[in-house]
Amino acid sequence: MSFKNILENFSYYRRDAEDGGHHDYDHRFGMTIDLDICTGCNSCSTACYAENNLAVVGKERFEKGQAMHWMRVERYWDNIEGDYAEEGAKFLPMLCQNCGAATCEPVCPVAATYHTPDGLNAQVYNRCIGSRYCSNNCPFRVRYFNFWSYYEDSWPEPLNMQLNPDLTVRDKGVMEKCTFCVQRIRTAKDKAQREERVMADGDVVTACAQACPTGAIVFGDTMDPGSRVSKLWEKHQIHRGPFLQKKDKTNEEIRGYRIFDELSVDPSIMYLERVRDTEV
Amino acid sequence: MSVKVNRRKFLKMLGWGGAGTALTGCDLPTTVTLEEGKEEVVSYLMPEEYAIPGIGVWYASTCTQCEAGCGLHGRVREGRVLKVEGNPDSPVNHGKSCMMGQSTVQAHYNPDRITSPMMRKGSTLQAVSWDEAMSALTSKIGPDSGVKGDRVGMVTGTVSGHQAVIIDELLAQVGSKNHYVHEVINTSVWSSVCRDMLGDEMPKLNFDKAGVILSFGADFLGTWISPVHNMGEYAKFRKGARGSLIQVEPKMTLTGGNADLWVPAKPGTEGALALGIANFILERGWNAVDVPSSVGKSLSQYTLTAVEKVTGVPVSKIKRIASMLTERGPSLVIAGASTENHENGYDAVASVMLLNLVMGNIGKTIEASAKFPEKALRAKQGNTKDLLLLAKALKDNKLDVLFTYNTNPAFTAPAVLQVSESLSGVGFKVAFSMFPDETTLQADLVLPIHSGMEDWGTHVPAYQPDTSSVLSLQQPLMEPIHKETRGFGDIMLSLLKLRNKDFGKFADYYSYLQTAVANMPADVTSNVEGASKDIWTNMLQKGIVKAKVSTNDLSPKLVDMKFKVKQDNSGYPMHLVPSARLGLWDGRHANIPWLQEFPDQIAKVVWGSWAELHPKKAAELGVKNGDYVRVTSASGSIETQVYIHKGIHPDAVSVPLGQGHDEFGRYAKGRGVNPLKILNPLMERRTGELATHATRVKVTNAHRHEKLVHLGGSESQVGRKFVKTISVDQLRRTEGEA
Repeated sequence: MSFKNILENFSYYRRDAEDGGHHDYDHRFGMTIDLDICTGCNSCSTACYAENNLAVVGKERFEKGQAMHWMRVERYWDNIEGDYAEEGAKFLPMLCQNCGAATCEPVCPVAATYHTPDGLNAQVYNRCIGSRYCSNNCPFRVRYFNFWSYYEDSWPEPLNMQLNPDLTVRDKGVMEKCTFCVQRIRTAKDKAQREERVMADGDVVTACAQACPTGAIVFGDTMDPGSRVSKLWEKHQIHRGPFLQKKDKTNEEIRGYRIFDELSVDPSIMYLERVRDTEV
Repeated sequence: MSVKVNRRKFLKMLGWGGAGTALTGCDLPTTVTLEEGKEEVVSYLMPEEYAIPGIGVWYASTCTQCEAGCGLHGRVREGRVLKVEGNPDSPVNHGKSCMMGQSTVQAHYNPDRITSPMMRKGSTLQAVSWDEAMSALTSKIGPDSGVKGDRVGMVTGTVSGHQAVIIDELLAQVGSKNHYVHEVINTSVWSSVCRDMLGDEMPKLNFDKAGVILSFGADFLGTWISPVHNMGEYAKFRKGARGSLIQVEPKMTLTGGNADLWVPAKPGTEGALALGIANFILERGWNAVDVPSSVGKSLSQYTLTAVEKVTGVPVSKIKRIASMLTERGPSLVIAGASTENHENGYDAVASVMLLNLVMGNIGKTIEASAKFPEKALRAKQGNTKDLLLLAKALKDNKLDVLFTYNTNPAFTAPAVLQVSESLSGVGFKVAFSMFPDETTLQADLVLPIHSGMEDWGTHVPAYQPDTSSVLSLQQPLMEPIHKETRGFGDIMLSLLKLRNKDFGKFADYYSYLQTAVANMPADVTSNVEGASKDIWTNMLQKGIVKAKVSTNDLSPKLVDMKFKVKQDNSGYPMHLVPSARLGLWDGRHANIPWLQEFPDQIAKVVWGSWAELHPKKAAELGVKNGDYVRVTSASGSIETQVYIHKGIHPDAVSVPLGQGHDEFGRYAKGRGVNPLKILNPLMERRTGELATHATRVKVTNAHRHEKLVHLGGSESQVGRKFVKTISVDQLRRTEGEA
C-alpha cells in the first residue's frame, strides 16, 4: 500500500466502520435471536451437530471443556432473591457472533482466521497451526479446538455415513467454530447464479434457524435493506459498527442489543430481550 | 497397425484422457448410455436418476422418535440420508423439529443396531438365518402350533395407522385380546378426564388464543402431547397479545423454565390449589360460566388459608393467579405428569378442568378435535395401566407367547413389579427390535427390524392440531443399511399369511399399504390436495394427507370428584419426581450419542444421572454439587450425584428418566440410574394408571464426591447482561401490543 495509493483512494480507506471499513462486502450475514420466545430446547444445537459434522467427545472430554458444541444453549439463574426461581431460568443460545471487528482475526499468526467478503469470520482449516490465540482472544468463548482426532472414535461405523459431505471432518490441532453454515450460503449463491438472479432473503437458512421450533432465530443479509434481519435490526436500532451504539433516548427500552457491544467488536448477532410478566 | 508408444506419448495421451474424464466427471452429469456400448465406463458418478452426485434430494416421511407424529423431510445424497428437517406441510410441526427428531439419523446409523435374527440356544442368543427364525415363529404361532389365543400377548408403544390395523388383525386371527400399549410418558389421566368432562379424549388446545396459561405440571414445551407443535403455538402466544405463563409443579421442567411465574406447590396437592383458585373465583363472582350451587358449596372448604396450609402456596399468590385468570382471559388451564401421576391424579386433573369450565374456556381455548374418520387407524395411546396388567399376567403365568415392539418394559417397569424376572416364565418371547435393549436381550427370538428411515408406515397423530385430520406417511429415505433387517409390517404380514389367505395377494407390506391407503373411506380419499394426482402419489410427495371432518362442540359436564391429599408418615419424608425431558425421553434415546452429549435443559448435566435438590435440603444434608446421595424408597434405592438449584420444591427430589440401562449398546449401558426402578407399585385410584410421582423417599448423604459434568462455567451472569429481561409493561411502552 503505497503512500500514493492512500492519497488517491483516501475516501475509500477512510470509510467508516458502518460502511464496512476497508472491506468490500458483497453480503454481511447476520442473525437475530429472540430470547423472549427461545425456550432453550436445544433443537438448534442438535441441528448444528447434524449439519456441521460436529464430534461427540464423551463425558471425560466434556468435563475438560473440550465439547465441540458450535451452538450451545447456556442456562443462567439470576435475580433469585426468594426461595424459588420464580422467574424461571434464562436461556441463551451462544454461537460465534461473526464479529465485524473480530478480536480473533488479528492475533492469528498464520491468517487462518480471516474476514470473507460475505462478512463471515472464516476459519481456514488447512492453514490453522493450532496456536489457539484466537480462542484465547474470543470474548464469547465460541471457538473450539480439536484436541484429539475425533474422527477415530466419534463416528463408529456406520454412524460415519451421516457425515455431511459438503464440509470436512476436522483433525487434531485445528480450531473450528460456527460458520453461519457457509456450505448453505455457498449452495444458495451457486443456485442464484445458475438462475441468473441475485440472492434473495430466505435463500439461505442456517441449520439452527431452520430447526428452531419457535422461530426465534432469523438469519439473513444485514446489507440487504429488505431482509427480515435488516428490518429487525432497524426496528431495534442496532446498526453495523464497532462501537457502543447510542439508541434513541425516547426509546431506551427497545429490546435489541448485542452482547459485549461495549468491546467494540461489532457482533453480527442481535439478541432481543426476554420479556417477563413481573406483575404476576 | 502397430503404434509405438513411448513414455512421452503415453503421458500426453494420459493427460488428454485425464482432462476429458475430469470434464465429464464434474458439473452436469454426462450420459454414457447402453446404446453407445460403453456401459462399462459408467461409474458411480451417475448411478441413478434420483441420485445426482453432490445434490441433495429431499423426501417426505414421518418422525418415529416419539408419538407426536411430526412430518419430516430427509435429505438424501448419494443414496444415504444425511439430515432431517421438519416437513412444512405437516400441520403438526410446520417444518420444525426437536432434538429427538434431528437425532433420528443417529438411531438409524447407530453402530449398535441388531443386524441379524437371533435365537436363544441354551442361555445365549445366537445369530440365525431368517429361514430358521421364521420357521421357529411358524412352529410356535402358526396355525398348526396349537397355541391358545388368550395365551398370546403383544406389548407395544403407542401405535397408529396401518401398523395398528395389522397388529389388531394378527391378534384377531390368533384369537388374542392381549394388546398391551405401554408408554411411561403419557397423558392417560388427562385424556380420561377430558373424555369424561368434555366428551373428547384429546381436545384441541389453542395456546395462541390464550391470554394466560396456567399449567399444573404440563411440560408442554418439552414432553407433553406434541412438543414441537406446542412450541410453535407458544411462540404465537408470546408474540401476539403477549400472554403470561404460570407453571405449578414440584420440579422445574423446560416449560417451567420459560414461565413468567413458577410456583412450587407441595407435590400431590396441585388439585387443592386448583380448587382453591376456583373457590376464590366463584366467591368473587368472577366466573364466566354459572355453575350449580352445589359445586360452590362443595368448594367452600377450600378457603385461601386452608389451601395455603395444604399446598404451601401463599395466599397472596393464589389471589394473584385467580385475578390473572380473570383479567387476562381467555385462559387455558392444563395438567401434566406431576399432577396426573399421583394416587389422586384423576381428581386433581378434574379440579384443573373445573377451572376451565368456570372460566368459560371450553369452545375458546379448548375445542373439539378433528378425529380421523377411519377409526381403526386412530392412535392407540400408550399408558402405564397396561404395564401393570402385563406385569400381573406375567406373574400369574398367563402368557405362552409374547411379542414386544417399540417398547422396553424390562427397563421401564418398577423393580417391584418383577417384569424382568417373570419374563422368563413366558415360553416364547419374540422381540421386534432395532437395538439390544433389556427386553430384547431376554427374548427367545430377536427379529431385527428396519429403522424409521428404512420402513414404510402410516401414522395418525393422537393429538390432531388442525381443523382437518391428518395422516402422515412414513416412507423409506434410503435402502436398508443392514442386509438382514426387515420391516415390521413385512414380518407381521408374513405371519398373517399363515392364517389368512386374503393377505396372500400382497407381496409385501408396501403393496398392502398402497392398497389399504387407496381403499380408505371417501371422506379421506376425496379430499386430496392437487386433484390430478391419486392419493398415494400425493402422499409420497407431500408426506401427509388431510381429511376434512366435522366436529361437534364440546359438551362440558361435571364429574363427581373427591380430591384428597394423602397423609404419609411412613418415614419417607421426600417426594420422588421421576422427571421426563425432551432428549432421552423415557430412556429410549439413551443410545444416541448426540442426545447423551446435549445438556439437560435445566440442570445442564451431560452423560449421566443426577438428583435435583433445593439448596435448603442440600444444606440440611450437607451436600454440594457433585456429591453423591442415596435416594431410598420402600422398593429400593439408587445413588447419584446432586445438582442444587432453586427450581425444585424443598420436599422433592427429582431424578430424570433416561439413564440406568443395563444393556442398550455402548452409549447407554452402565450409565447413571433409573428412578423408575425404585417406584412403589401405587395406582391412580380412578384410572388404574401407575402413580409414578407418588413414591415417597428419603435422601441421605453418601459421602462421596465426583465432579458434576455439566455445561457452563458459571451459574449466573455475574451482573453481566447476556440475557436481559424487561417487564411486559416496558414492552408495551416501547413496542406496543404486537
